[in-house]
Amino acid sequence: MDRGWWWKFGLIVAVTLGTIWFLIPTYYSLVVLDRDQRNNVAVLEQRLPSWAPPARYRLNLGLDLQGGIHMVMRVDTKTALQKRTERRGQQIASYVNDKKLGEVTADTDPELLQLTLTAKDPATMDAIEKEVLSAFGDFKRVSRSGGTLVLAPDESQTTRFREEAVDQAMLVIRRRIDKWGVAEVDVRKLGTDSIQISLPGRSNPEQAKELVGTTAQLEFRMVDDTNPQFFAQMYQQHPPPEGSNITLVQEGGFPQLSAPTREAILAYTKDKTPEGREVLTECIANPVKKNECSAYRSYLVEKNVPLTGESLAGADASLSNLNEPEVNIAFDAAGAREFEKLTEAGVGRRMAIVLDENVQTAPNINEKIGGGRARITMGRMGARSFNEWLGEAQTLALVLKAGALPAPVTVGEIRQVGASLGDELIKKGSMAALVGLALVVLFMAVYYRKSGLIADVALILNGLLILAGLAFFNATLTLPGIAGFVLTLGIAVDANVLINERIREELSHGKTARAAVDQGYDRAFWTIFDAHVTTLIAGFILFFTGTGPVRGFATTLIVGLLASLFTSIVVTRVITTYFVHGRNAARVSV
Amino acid sequence: MQILKHKTNFDFIGKRKPAIFISTLINLAIIVGIAAFGFNFGVDFAGGTVVELKFNHSISDTEVRDRAVKGGLHDVSVQNIGAKEDNAFLLRMGGVTQLTEENAAKAKTAIQGLGTITNIYPDLANGIINFRSATPLDAKTVRDTVVATGTGVQEVRELGESSSGHGFDYQVVASGMADKVREVLSQGQDTPDFEQRRVDYVGPQVGKQLRNRGIMALVYSMLAILIYVAFRFDFKFGPGALLAMIHDVVMVAGYYLVSRREFNLTSIAALLTIVGYSVNDTIVIYDRIREDMVKYKGKPLAEVINIAVNDTLGRTILTSGVTALSLIGLLIFGVGEIFDFAMAMLVGIVVGTYSSVYIASPLTIWLDERAAAKAARGGGIDRQQPKVA
Repeated sequence: MDRGWWWKFGLIVAVTLGTIWFLIPTYYSLVVLDRDQRNNVAVLEQRLPSWAPPARYRLNLGLDLQGGIHMVMRVDTKTALQKRTERRGQQIASYVNDKKLGEVTADTDPELLQLTLTAKDPATMDAIEKEVLSAFGDFKRVSRSGGTLVLAPDESQTTRFREEAVDQAMLVIRRRIDKWGVAEVDVRKLGTDSIQISLPGRSNPEQAKELVGTTAQLEFRMVDDTNPQFFAQMYQQHPPPEGSNITLVQEGGFPQLSAPTREAILAYTKDKTPEGREVLTECIANPVKKNECSAYRSYLVEKNVPLTGESLAGADASLSNLNEPEVNIAFDAAGAREFEKLTEAGVGRRMAIVLDENVQTAPNINEKIGGGRARITMGRMGARSFNEWLGEAQTLALVLKAGALPAPVTVGEIRQVGASLGDELIKKGSMAALVGLALVVLFMAVYYRKSGLIADVALILNGLLILAGLAFFNATLTLPGIAGFVLTLGIAVDANVLINERIREELSHGKTARAAVDQGYDRAFWTIFDAHVTTLIAGFILFFTGTGPVRGFATTLIVGLLASLFTSIVVTRVITTYFVHGRNAARVSV
Repeated sequence: MQILKHKTNFDFIGKRKPAIFISTLINLAIIVGIAAFGFNFGVDFAGGTVVELKFNHSISDTEVRDRAVKGGLHDVSVQNIGAKEDNAFLLRMGGVTQLTEENAAKAKTAIQGLGTITNIYPDLANGIINFRSATPLDAKTVRDTVVATGTGVQEVRELGESSSGHGFDYQVVASGMADKVREVLSQGQDTPDFEQRRVDYVGPQVGKQLRNRGIMALVYSMLAILIYVAFRFDFKFGPGALLAMIHDVVMVAGYYLVSRREFNLTSIAALLTIVGYSVNDTIVIYDRIREDMVKYKGKPLAEVINIAVNDTLGRTILTSGVTALSLIGLLIFGVGEIFDFAMAMLVGIVVGTYSSVYIASPLTIWLDERAAAKAARGGGIDRQQPKVA
């Protein structure tokens, strides 16, 4: 055996051991742990031996296999756009009236999303049209007849607006699901106006629909700071129960309760809150994993809701004169009056901005604010970088808008699989895969004898490699994925058949065993390579353009083809070379 | 062991003309069939609601259907799945929300009775009724009004006062079909005698999106494969591989057409796998043709192809056989989609093997003959000049 062979042999042994090692978290999560703990990374991490790979490298089961809910929510951008067009229409009308260009009324067609301006005196329309089109660049002219001008929102503006509406909806949905406390949720954008949500282990689609489908509720409520030591006193008088992980922290001079879950705070403060007051929580964002909360803080707020998101006219993040990120908010006329009253009475107090019962921020009121325009300065610098700080301002603006301009969401798609059905499917699916594999293994051994057995070893390693590969990429195994698994094994077999048939052919030409094996492998190599690459191309395109089950299938296909290339070309050759060269055999058993 | 004891010498290429004729005929028939009858689209693509129920006692599909119809679910199809004693049924409905055209009309009239209502328009695709009222309304009143007309309501949204001051905007969101199913079937019982095992609910817009994306994936991957083959081999091999792929896809589509099996996302995955398999098989034979072209220089291409196909025949039969073997598990234990997938694959393996021999290779000959004829007409004179070493 030459040195090159030993190197390759070492590589194969290392890959095999690595593969088995890598499958340990998967084995624990699927076999050792109970079903309801399957998705619990923390429990898995605890149970794993210290030398095993981290728990996150495990093979997830798709919702079709373990039960759960898959939803696609469609963001009704049309309604949001219609509302926006209407608001802009009013702004245009008051702009025209303020500039004394004439007197116009604005009307919106809800279906065509067009804005019709009608001038009291048709003669003024020329001047109005010119001025309006230059001042309101987000509108373009559709038609004009005498004193009526029809405008439509500009394409690029509406596209941006739609995108923003989807981002807002996604943010609200994420925060809501977070409140629900589901592990391993996945919320992502799908296409231009849809949001895809996966809730493993959940079984009530109605509850889920209600949770993510309702309009966001934005409220402005006063924080009760009459007793700044409220939480500190509670903490001293009623020490929290053992193991509840509730601690007392100082934030901006006010003691607050902090706990890893929202429920812990709410359960602890229940019955300890004065009349007319309520404890709400704020999510402290995880600095590493965005969209997750590392802890929750408590606030004591008044139950009375003086102002809601309905009074908001807009919100934007920008930089102040001092180059500090800030959020500008604007109220409609009625909201502005209420806001002025509220800030006048509450100078020196804090006002909580609450979205879906979660405190987003609680800025201090520095002075009475009139005119319906307010500014929230992102004052707490802390250890944050400027970008994080600006990002927070943008998120807050998004939250405010989500509550103010509701782009309603509707259910586009729900797929719910009950846990019992999931179990049945995984049993049948793995049975199917095993039977397929067993038949192929048996056939190869009978048909090609020793070479067949070698191919079988490669085939089994191939199967393990696919599972380990999927675990490495943190991929999800779905029902079509199992089908893809079986198919790749078929392709791997094809590669072995190609090689063995070549060797037989070379032998029939009278070549020696050694020469036949070498030639067989060399000649089959490019064929196998081409065949795999073409299928890989299909796999990648499937992966990038497909959704849901198609994607799951593609992932398995890609990983499987790469594994098959390795096992059929490298692994079988090294073993065959051992038998033919190493033993100096005159015959090869194929 | 060996399948073919002796070297075969079938004249595959000689029979290419009748083969292509028959293939084209079948392909055309399938395309016409798809145009005339269409696929049996699953909810993935057609939109609609599918609910899988498992009863805890013995019940027949007629009884389930009777219960559904009695409760007002008229266009429901009930299908027994699995073994009879499983008491599991698949209920399929066209709509996704309870807002059908008929319901919407009733709800519209009822809402208009609430006051001065303008701009009322139902959005059936999203299961929403939008309207504006001159005076503010109570959400509960609106909900009760709509529910009384027979449409379940998930939520009444108050969108606030319209900024033009013409009134207050509301949105009524109808609840899904699945709620209705549960409600209707458990009528008159304290606890339902069934478990809702699966709910698939796909809106028409999403369905259309999924379908378009699926088809695009198919087209893109075929194009990418064509480009790869044309570069890796020779231009004249590309179109043959492409035509063979199209042939196989159409044939498998024919399986879905004739069997009336549900055509859904998994079917797209099956079609794509067949594209992969078909090209896999074509490539193996092409590879041999290319090798033999060097080996038997001077022989006409048709003869070379015949030799190559015959040489690889043992491997072709074996590979197809083994891949089919790996599908047997899926055919026996696979339920629903997985069974359909395996069946489509089986069809794909058979036609894929056939098309590599009878579609891909002859097209190469034809392209080669055309190129030769063109060269003979003029363009090739340069090449025939003796080279100076």
